[in-house]
This record gives sequence, structure tokens and C-alpha cells, in this order.
Amino acid sequence: MLKSPNIASKARLWVFYVFVVLVHFLIVARFFKIQILDNEKYTKRAQSNYVRALSLPAPRGLILDRNGKIIVDNYPTYVLYAIGAEIKNKNKNYAIISKTTGIDTSILIKNYKNNYRSRFLPTRIAKDLTIEQLSKLEEEKNNLSGIIYKQFPERIYHPKVKATHALGYLKEVDQSMIDNLKTAKYSYGDLVGWAGIEKQYESSLRGEKGVSYYQVDAFGREAGPVETYSDLLSQPGGDINTTIDLDLQLLVEDIYKDKKGAVIVSKPNTGEVLVYVSSPDYNPDLFTGLVSSADWQTVVSDPNRPLLNRASNGLYPPGSIYKMIVAIELLEKKLIDKNWTSFCKGEYEFYDRAHKCWDKNGHGTVNVESAIAQSCDVFFYEAIQKVRLDELEKRSMDFSHGVPTNIDLPSEMKGKVPNRKYMNKLHGRYGWSTGAMLNISIGQGEILVTPIQMAAYTNILATRGVSKNLHLVKPKNPHTDKSILVSSKTWDIIHNSMREVVYGKKGTGKLSDPNIPGVIVSGKTGTAENPHGETHAWYIGFANYNNDDIISVVVLVENGGGGGSVASPIARKIFKKYNQNINYNIAIKQ
Amino acid sequence: MNIDVSRVIKSSPYSILLIVFCILILGLISLFSVAESRSLGDSNAFLRQIIFLGPAVLLMFLFMIIPKKLIHEYVYIFYGVIILFVMLPYFSAQVADTHRWIDIGLPFSLQPSEIAKLVIILTLARYLSDRKIELDHFGAILIPFIIAFIPALIVLNQPDLGTAIVMMSPVIPMLYWVGARPFHLFLVIAPLLSIVTAFDVSVFTSWSLVMALIIFLSKPQLWNGIAIFFFNIFLGLIFPLFWNGFLRPYHRNRILTSINPELDPLGSGYQVIQSKTALGSGGFFGKGWGEGTQTQLKFLPVQESDFIVSVIGEELGFLAILFMLTLFLYLILKILYLAFHSSDRFSGLVLIGISTIFLSHVFVNCSMASGMIPVKGLPLPFVSYGGSFLLSSFIMIGIAINFSREENY
Repeated sequence: MLKSPNIASKARLWVFYVFVVLVHFLIVARFFKIQILDNEKYTKRAQSNYVRALSLPAPRGLILDRNGKIIVDNYPTYVLYAIGAEIKNKNKNYAIISKTTGIDTSILIKNYKNNYRSRFLPTRIAKDLTIEQLSKLEEEKNNLSGIIYKQFPERIYHPKVKATHALGYLKEVDQSMIDNLKTAKYSYGDLVGWAGIEKQYESSLRGEKGVSYYQVDAFGREAGPVETYSDLLSQPGGDINTTIDLDLQLLVEDIYKDKKGAVIVSKPNTGEVLVYVSSPDYNPDLFTGLVSSADWQTVVSDPNRPLLNRASNGLYPPGSIYKMIVAIELLEKKLIDKNWTSFCKGEYEFYDRAHKCWDKNGHGTVNVESAIAQSCDVFFYEAIQKVRLDELEKRSMDFSHGVPTNIDLPSEMKGKVPNRKYMNKLHGRYGWSTGAMLNISIGQGEILVTPIQMAAYTNILATRGVSKNLHLVKPKNPHTDKSILVSSKTWDIIHNSMREVVYGKKGTGKLSDPNIPGVIVSGKTGTAENPHGETHAWYIGFANYNNDDIISVVVLVENGGGGGSVASPIARKIFKKYNQNINYNIAIKQ
Repeated sequence: MNIDVSRVIKSSPYSILLIVFCILILGLISLFSVAESRSLGDSNAFLRQIIFLGPAVLLMFLFMIIPKKLIHEYVYIFYGVIILFVMLPYFSAQVADTHRWIDIGLPFSLQPSEIAKLVIILTLARYLSDRKIELDHFGAILIPFIIAFIPALIVLNQPDLGTAIVMMSPVIPMLYWVGARPFHLFLVIAPLLSIVTAFDVSVFTSWSLVMALIIFLSKPQLWNGIAIFFFNIFLGLIFPLFWNGFLRPYHRNRILTSINPELDPLGSGYQVIQSKTALGSGGFFGKGWGEGTQTQLKFLPVQESDFIVSVIGEELGFLAILFMLTLFLYLILKILYLAFHSSDRFSGLVLIGISTIFLSHVFVNCSMASGMIPVKGLPLPFVSYGGSFLLSSFIMIGIAINFSREENY
């Protein structure tokens, strides 16, 4: 019946037309809404879909010694990642990695679990891999699906010199640190200077991280760089030139290998610190590398407390090295003069108690110079009674006792110098008497100092009253430089006494004499009684090599014994080594 | 039967071919971009589309010259055969967890349901033009519905809701074309609307009022009117129960995530979000050919077939979308125009059916990609990759050209 006529009406055709146009209009309107009106919203969404930012680590600045030798360097280590989605047999892979690198499987599993974010993102399972370990892994590459590595500039410390307490260490940033640091510059897994110079100079050492943009596909897999986003290269941190003398530092660290204590060698005229030793110390890698909890426990529970920075945070009674301050106070206030004498019979009776001199045979008749040279206690027991405690406190503070040295390190203790108020508080208003002063006169009792304070003190003595801000890199606060007003007559007496300590017949510091023609050493020994056992051996002194070339030395051997017998010889070695270096440098110049 | 080829060529409406050619090129450009981004091993949709074009164009020319009479005569046989074919996939291996494909031993599979759409149109046209149907009686319009419903039901169970809807879509336009009373058609559509609106109380209430008004204006017998009204209300009330009890969760999800795709960002809603993101980030001029980040980085799912329009929108922009839709609009209006001017009722009906198929594909595909309606796997004619639909689209174009010619029998 093909001949049945076409009976469609024009009106109905128009209904069709209108309907079709309406449908198309509806679709166009919808696309207009999405593509034009909501374009911005969807553009943002599209970008967040595929653009990922990867931060590029900035190599930290190097830490150099005063002659430009590298103390802390960066070393390319390798970080191992696992991509969950691409690993065929996780246990087998871990077994191979463990076998070739020696990293325990349990550590790999733990790291994977801790760092895991997505099946498709690389998850860090090991770090600090050496090139040797990596090349071994490379041989097994075919069996290691989904394992990749990336280079990372890891901190590496001088193989011999530790100087840990001065240099400090880095710590991996964790969530609590991000909250505390309150700066967007750090993110999880970054390294931040956590002690010492690394912390103090963090802002210049750190550099600026770079950002590399890359795109990911719908499965989170890397799909090349993003053309519209250019990478921001990382800015390496600035190098730090320290004042440390690597040779001297090495020598002292070597001496202190099995000793406890601290040594500070510095230049009184500038405040530069040449040697900063606090022993025992620890390996700075402890905090950045793969720390096993066993290693950590060993360090933390070590009775020798290697984590304690003895030089700046260790508190010790100064013992006899304090005596110069008492002498200066006596002389300056004209309570005694050069000829004022005391008779030492080995002990001093004060009311019902006998205060002993260190030499029970007694020193006979001593004046201020011989009392310092022989470190006679009785002289000071007697003379101190003329001194007012609060005046002595002021004098002590002039000489860096009980006040921070402002060395450029993140922390230091300010020690303790007693005054009347403090004594009253400690012992009660009538609980103490002039008898307590007798102890203080020989640097015992309530008075506590840090070795770094003693270095500042020694420098003031060496420069006849010029106080320079001690520093490892640069003065933290140059305004703390000051001159201490002491008459030159008094200075002469003090310097004479201190030379007598080294060169006098009965000088206690004779063993510190380096016996170098033209080099004059002034010193003072101390043997500090303490409740922790054997006495602490102190030596402070300075050697004049040339007109301006003076170095000061502070030696503390914790529970080492006598200052004269134990600390002085260490100082001598330092004086000698420094002389060698001078000659060496002269030779080089010629 | 002699075919005067030169006369065929002379009297064909070439603008249709030109339009189809333009749309086809746009599709191939996008497919090429998609194929470029497929790095390894994956099937290259662009090449396969090119390979399919040969037979498709050949078939188009074949159907351009096949005598209308021949088709008219055997259409019921085709109908029987196609129903068998539509059922065939039940007996062959499953592809993509559904039964839609027949493995014919070639590197390509064929979807009989695509051909079935055309056969349904031909059958309906034959039925509606065959006799003087008393379209004034409501009962007379039921047979056409049944003709389309049998294959649609089979397809629906495969499950392929989109194709089933497309199969049903020509019935009402074709009935309307041959003069069915709008009220009768309303009676058929009303239950559907009652069901759809049943999920929202206020929408359902307004629908009830509109329905009451239409029934009142159409002036049926009182009791009939009341019965129709309350039947629809009853349907609307009962359907939510059916929804929860009988529908596959997979259908439910598709429909629901269309209403709010953000509900389920990794399920079917994920596809809509990614598609809208691709489209929306394209803007007016697009990101440039091969520069679509969502396309090239595979955020956009099934980009070579269901979401090809999002590729065009992302890379070539709103401008290209507008251009493409204008082409489709012209194509469909042109076929309607040819239907009106065709020499006989059968031809006119077939052309109406074909335009309906194209329109529903364009509407469903574009609305789906832009998140207006639930995700339905329906390809965009001449643009999407998909062998079977490309073949049947070209065949329909062939028939449209064939049937729009003045012929004397």
C-alpha cells in the first residue's frame, strides 16, 4: 500500500519543528551554562585534577672552618620508594632489598606503613642509601617491580671531627614540629636544624625549596611535566664560615676521646672560638639517618650523658680559677694591697671550724701574687672577710659569671653567682654566715659556671678588661662588647700572678708551659670539689704569641683530678699545636 | 527491477550528505585526539572508526538505491528476524558484563539492537500506512506500542535502558504524524509522567493539577475522565514501592546520581563530574586540539564513545559544540521537511522515525555528558566510536535519501 497518500498536516510538521528546535536550544543552554558561565569553576577543578607539585629539596649550606676546610658537607644519598600499585610481590621485593642493602625487612614494612598515602604514589621505604647499595639493587632491578629511587642531598659530617655540640644536628620535621614552628616553609619529612650552629643559622643554611610541577593521569601516575607551570628551582643554602680551627679541634677531640669535660679555645681580641669541645658527644647522624631505637636508647641512657652540651650547658663549681675575681675586688676596693700578707699553715680556723688549704703543708707567708700563683686557699679565706657578698656578685658578673655569654648557639646556661638575697632564700635569713663566704672565695659552694663563661672570663683577663662577644660564626650581639674598668695596677698584679702560675717555682700550672721561646703563657688552675666524686680539673689561661695574636684556653676535665696535673698538660698541647699552625701558615705564605 | 542510478544521484538531497560529512569529520578529529593519547596497546578507536567507514558508506549507497517497494514488502520478515537477533546475544559470551554484543568471528562485534531501531521504524511505518486505521479509537494505537515494546523489552533485560528508550521513542511521533488524537497520546504518556513525578510531592501535585486540566479540556465521558485521573494518581503512589522493590540497584544509582552527581563521586557520578569538568574547563574556544588535560590524562571516562562530546567541548570549546548542534539541528529539520514532502505515507513515517532516532541520540548523549539526565550508554551519531551504530546511522541516512525521492510506482 505504498500508494497510501501522505496525509501529514502542516500544523503537525510545525509542532515537530518547534519541538526539535526547543530540544536543541535546551542542550545549547546547558552547554553554555557549563562551558561559559561555570568555566572558571571547572578550570580550577580540572587543574586540581591533574597538577601535582613536588617540592625539590634545597641543599643546605656547608659549614666550613676558619680556613675554609669543610666540616659539614652534603652527600648525595638515595631514597628508596615503593609504588604499591606496581609491586607484584611485596614480600619478595623486601627480601631482596633487605639482602642487598642490609636494611631489616621489618624497617621497610614499618616505613611503608608510616609513609603510605596512596597505592599510586611513591612511598618512602628507606633512605640514606649509598651508591654502593644502590648499584647492588640495580643488579636486581628486574625482580624489583614498583621500586624506584630518588637522589637526596643528605647532611654528612666530617669523618674525624665531630664538634657535635657546636655544629648541632638536623631533625626530620614531624607534625608536632610543623604546628610549633608555625611556618609554611616546612613540610613533613623536611630537615630542620635542631641544635648548635645548624639551628642557630637555620635561616641562612636552609636555602629555599624549589617546586616541580608535574601532571598525573586519572590513576595518579606521573605523566610528564606541566607545560603551563614552570618549575621553581631550589636555592641552595648559604655556606657558613665558622671560626673553628679544624686542626686544633681535631687535636682536642682526640685528647678527649676517653675523657669527660669541655675545652674552649678562643681569641680574646675578637671573641672567635677556635675549639669547641664537649665530651663525650654523639654522632650527629643519629637524628637524621635511619635511627634504630636501640641506638637511640644507648645514647639517652648513657650515664656519661653525651647529649649534654657541657661547654655551654654544663654547670660546675669554678674552684680556684675564680680567685682572680676575688683578688681584683680586694685590690680595686683597696681592701688589701700588693703587700698585704696572710700566713698559711695548711688550714684556717674560722670560729669553730677549720677550713683547709689544698696543700695541707701550708704555703707560709703569701701575698696576693703568690697566693694566686700557688693557689693558696688560706689567703683568700682571710681576705674574703673584707668583701661584701653583693659587691663580689657585681664584680663576678662583670667577668661573665652568672650572665649568659651570648655565644651564637641556641642555648646556654647562665650559671649562678650568689648574693645575700639568694643566700637568705637558700639557707634562711640567719642560716648562713661569713663562713659561707670562705667557700665562695675559692670558687666552691653556691657558685656555678659553664666552661663557655670561663672562656669569656679568661678573655677579659687576657685583654685587660675588653669583653668581646664569643662566637662560632659571628657575634650574636656586638653591643655586648664592653670594657671593664679595672686599674692597670691591678691588671699588672693579676697578670704577674697568672704568669707565676705557669713560670713560678711553686706555680700550680707549670705543666701548661709549652716552652716556646717568645710565647708567654698566663694561666690559673682549679681543682673543684663536687658532690659527684673525683674533683673537676680546671685550667684557664692565655698565650701571647705575637703582639696581637693571643689565644685563650679553657680546659675542664670532669672528675679528672687536679687542675695542675690533669688540665694543664692539655692546655700545653693546645698552645704547642697552635704555634705549629702559625709556623705552618707562615711557611705556606713564604 | 531496474535502477536508474543517474536519476537516483540527481534527485538526492545532497545537503544531508554534506551535513553528515561535516559531523563525521568533527567526530574523526576528536577520535584522533583521543587515539593520540592512548599510548600503548589499547585499541585505536580512530583507526577502527576509519575501517568501519568503508562498509558503512557502502551500505548507505546500497540503501539509497534499494527499491522502496522491496523494503516495504518484506519488512515484517525483517522484524521477525531482528527479534531473533536481538535475543541472540543471550546465547553468546558476555561482553562487558552485558549481553549487548554478538561475536561474529570478526575483529568487531555487532550490536543487533542498533539495526533493530531501524527495523522497528520500518515496521511501524508499514503498519501505520498499511490500512486505514481508525486512529480515533484509543485501542488502535496500542498495536504500534506493542511492535516497539517487544524488542525494547528484550533489550531492557540485557540490560540496556538507553537503547530501549530509543526504541520506544519513535512510536508517539509517528502516531502523531498520522493523525492520532493528542489526547490518546496523552493517555499513554500520562502514566509515565505520573511515575517520574511521584518522587517529589510538590511536583506530583502540580502534575496532578495539569493532568486534571488536560482531562477536563479534552472533555471525555465523565466516568472515563475520573477513571483516567485516579489510575494515574494510583500509579504515582504505587511506583515508589516498585522502585525500591524491583529495580536493579545499578539503574537506581544511575538515575539518582544524575539528580546529584556529587553524591557518589567515584561511582557513575564520577563520570558525570569528570565530563562536566572537561566540558567546563574547555570554555568558549577550547584548550586546543590534543591539549585537553582531562581527555589526554584519562580523567574523562569512555571518551571515544559515550563522552566524545566532552572531548570536543574540552579541546575545541563551546564554539565547536554550537557548530555541531547546529549541524544536527539542520539534519533533523531537513529530514522532517523531507518527511512532509515525501510522496507517500510509508516514506513520511520512516523519515519521521529516523529523525526521532537521531534526535533522541543527540539529546540523550549531550544531556548525559552535561549531567542533565542519568548516564546512559548512547552514542552520538557519526561522532562516537562504535561500529554498529555507525553502520545503522549510515543506513538510516541512505534510507532517508532513498525515501525522500519522488518516485512513481
